[in-house]
Amino acid sequence: MSTATVSHKKVKASVLVEVCSVRLAETWFGVPITHILEIVGAVRPQPVPLAPAYVGGLVHYRGDVLTTVSLRQLLDLPPNEGAQAILVLESTGGCFGLLVDAVGEVLTVSSTDHEPNPSILDRRRKALFAGAYKLKDRLLVMLDPERLDPLQLSQAHPD
Amino acid sequence: MPGKRCNCPLTPDPCFLKFILFHPIKALSARRAGAAKSRLAGWFKAMDELTREFLIESQEGLDRMEQCLTDLETRPQDAALLGEIFRSVHTIKGTTGFLGFKRLETLAHAGENLLGLLRDGKLAANRPLITGLLHLLDGLRAILKSIETMASEGEGEDSALIEQLVALQAPANVKQPVHAKVGATFSAAPAAAAPQAPSAPQAQAPVSAAQAPAAPAQQPANAIPAPVVQSAAAGSETDASRPRAQIAAAGSAAESTLRVDVVLLNRMMNLVGELVLTRNQVLQATASDPNMTLLSRRLDMVTADLRENVMKARMQPVSNIFSKMPRIVRDLSQSLGRRVRLVVEGQDTELDKSLLEAIKDPLTHAVRNSLDHGIEPPEVRVAAGKDPEGTLKLRASHEGSHVIIEVSDDGAGIAVEKVRDKAIERGIIAPERASQLGEHELLQLVFLPGFSTAAAVTNVSGRGVGMDVVRTNVEKIGGKVEIDSRTGKGTTLRLRIPLTLAIIPALIVRSVNQSFALPQGSLSELVHVPPEQAAKTIEWIEGAPLYRLRGKLLPLVFLDRLLMPAGEHKSASERDSFIAVLDVDGRRYGLVVDGLADPEEIVVKPLSAVLKVIGLYSGATVLGNADLALILDPGAIAVKAGVTMSADRDAEGADSEEEDTNAAKGMEYLLVEAAGRRAAVPLADVLRIEQIPLSRIEFIGDRPVLNFEGQLMPVEDSGGVLAAAEANSASQTDREPQIIVVVCREGNRHVGIAVSHVLDVAAGGDLFEAGTSQRTGGVTLLKDRVTGVVDLAGVQPLPVCENVSEDWNQIAETVA
Repeated sequence: MSTATVSHKKVKASVLVEVCSVRLAETWFGVPITHILEIVGAVRPQPVPLAPAYVGGLVHYRGDVLTTVSLRQLLDLPPNEGAQAILVLESTGGCFGLLVDAVGEVLTVSSTDHEPNPSILDRRRKALFAGAYKLKDRLLVMLDPERLDPLQLSQAHPD
Repeated sequence: MPGKRCNCPLTPDPCFLKFILFHPIKALSARRAGAAKSRLAGWFKAMDELTREFLIESQEGLDRMEQCLTDLETRPQDAALLGEIFRSVHTIKGTTGFLGFKRLETLAHAGENLLGLLRDGKLAANRPLITGLLHLLDGLRAILKSIETMASEGEGEDSALIEQLVALQAPANVKQPVHAKVGATFSAAPAAAAPQAPSAPQAQAPVSAAQAPAAPAQQPANAIPAPVVQSAAAGSETDASRPRAQIAAAGSAAESTLRVDVVLLNRMMNLVGELVLTRNQVLQATASDPNMTLLSRRLDMVTADLRENVMKARMQPVSNIFSKMPRIVRDLSQSLGRRVRLVVEGQDTELDKSLLEAIKDPLTHAVRNSLDHGIEPPEVRVAAGKDPEGTLKLRASHEGSHVIIEVSDDGAGIAVEKVRDKAIERGIIAPERASQLGEHELLQLVFLPGFSTAAAVTNVSGRGVGMDVVRTNVEKIGGKVEIDSRTGKGTTLRLRIPLTLAIIPALIVRSVNQSFALPQGSLSELVHVPPEQAAKTIEWIEGAPLYRLRGKLLPLVFLDRLLMPAGEHKSASERDSFIAVLDVDGRRYGLVVDGLADPEEIVVKPLSAVLKVIGLYSGATVLGNADLALILDPGAIAVKAGVTMSADRDAEGADSEEEDTNAAKGMEYLLVEAAGRRAAVPLADVLRIEQIPLSRIEFIGDRPVLNFEGQLMPVEDSGGVLAAAEANSASQTDREPQIIVVVCREGNRHVGIAVSHVLDVAAGGDLFEAGTSQRTGGVTLLKDRVTGVVDLAGVQPLPVCENVSEDWNQIAETVA
């Protein structure tokens, strides 16, 4: 059955997608480069007292003050004390920064290698991930920039 | 280096580098405008260039027409005015023809017929006619608005308006055809049109140039439908000569001005802010390298220049909103039966565009109030021995880094007793409390919500949502409102507006190991509480901390406890604390912080929606050292911490009762010491206290002066403080001597007073001469000691230009 689906997909279309890989602890995640405006390295965001927990703080970005989202906090990982990198992402609600440990390379992946979220994933992660690409040696978990938007998160975690 | 940004080229892949270059600000700024605005922006994009140009030009034309119409009332014979009005309507009609806005064209046509008669002297401008034309103006505006928002002319019925316009052309209104009169109008027109063009504001000049060429081509065609027989030759003669005169005058202005999108200007402002920060970092990084000094100095200068010019580009003259007032005054004075003369001063005072927008409503409100509550009906004025025609004065002027806008009338003034009775009746204030308030304090009650002294609610004002809205709106942009009134003489409302919204003065404070910016607008004083005194001076009622500030209890808010409710906090006796005494919306409280840094001019950056809902921050800013700081919102902190107005007032009331027993009149003085003698300065006049190195004091002749915020200020040194400091410095060579200058306001100027120490602030009592019960001037009773009051008015002004040498003139100019 599974082979049937795969072959079916292959017949249908094989679209190439460019994905920027980012690392968080030991896991590599992917973000479609169409959503990335800029990558800013080595920043220490300014914390905002009383802000929701998923807000990683503020950074100065091109004359504006950018709100960042801490991916570590969202995934319940311990906070990173060192410098972090920021992906400046664009979503329908505006721009925001995504705090990650490091930025890797840009990979070109084929849509035929994409798999949806596995059903055993917990609810919170299911809401943030957009499936995964099967690379030769590992899996690249895709993040959905729309769902990481602080406005979206504020509705998902009203705390 | 924290906060330093670098685009990290982590991979050589070229497609990765591609998106680094993508510029995000366009996307950012478009989104920031609300939903309605973005819809409009969408249509603006879709709308072709021609229609957009047409809308902008027509609106400018109509604005000018409105102004001319109100002027026409006082000068009904002015041919230049009539010509201007005619052209506005004519241009709209001409352009709509080929853009296909039928409804607009029909209405404009009807108006044009009437205006044609007026212009040719066949009709005389009278009040009903001007009212009719104002209706035409409103009609045209409504249609233009609908084109702008909905891309169509909308479903409206103009036939009633058109009928009214046609009726105004009726023979009853037509003058007897006096030929000499017509001839006079023609010959006057070209001459009058020429001087008028250069006097029009620059921004409008290009429009006149654009519409002028269109005029002669269309003119003869319109002359025909006019019902009154008219010589075609005479008509074309005026039209041919008029535009030529105007083109000549407006031509140079059209070439030197340019329309720029506000979004673009905002973006430029943002980028300049960014450049300033980068420059600061470059200056820091290159400070030790002598090869770079020249280059970085140059970068410094160019950046400062650029910033100043971009700010200038955003400035608009206040005449943009003042010009709307004649119409409002006219309509209101007619409906209220008042006779009012509007006097406008300082029209060319400039203000940032966004601020101008923000004060439009408060100003309109103030003008309405003056007409409704201030200026009396003519018969009442005559009975009171006044000119039946009231005067409403609008005045704009610069004062330091602020623009002052005054709305004053010579009407009835505000009856203080009425204000007090009304406030008690509405439960805004307790009767006991009211009896303790002075006249000036009682007047300020009109700014409280739910207050109105109007006997009856009219459709103009009196619903009690007036002055508090004015105050809220002005305070929102960092301004202040003051009111001054004398019964029977009139009322003056003074709006103090900062020059720009984007940059505000703030004090940087430290708490929870972070920097925060506290806007100085609401900051009234700072108190240092050393750890050993904390237990004694900070008192508690259950869980509520209070500080005894000059005998009054001040509620305290600990910033660290407010921001980190869960965290561990050092008590005030374990560390230094600072109390920032804040005054906001009638609430007074002390914000306790861990440390103070320098005051700084900060550039306000908006916060994202998720952080706005926290409610304590009004924005964020980037400090000089490239750190980010959140801007605290003193009003929101008061609300969050539960500092309410009524509680505050009760506390104040209880205190002042006590206070009143030992100080009869509660005028407060700053107690200073100058070379061994004590003196008092009225606290209301004190602007700030500056500690400066002695070398900053300069001399004009033998008069000491101080260059204070770019203005030359005389320094009063009757106590010989300067000489004493000079002598002192001779003995101590290790550090530069410092002196203290108390900067005071005296009328419209600033005056400095050199003192050796500032001792305290205390309430003074009037002294009465024994036997005569006459109040003695120049002295006051402070802390049971008779103290001399510094006579600020007696400080001699700086020498005026004529008796100063040429050099001084130049210096004064550069300083100014």
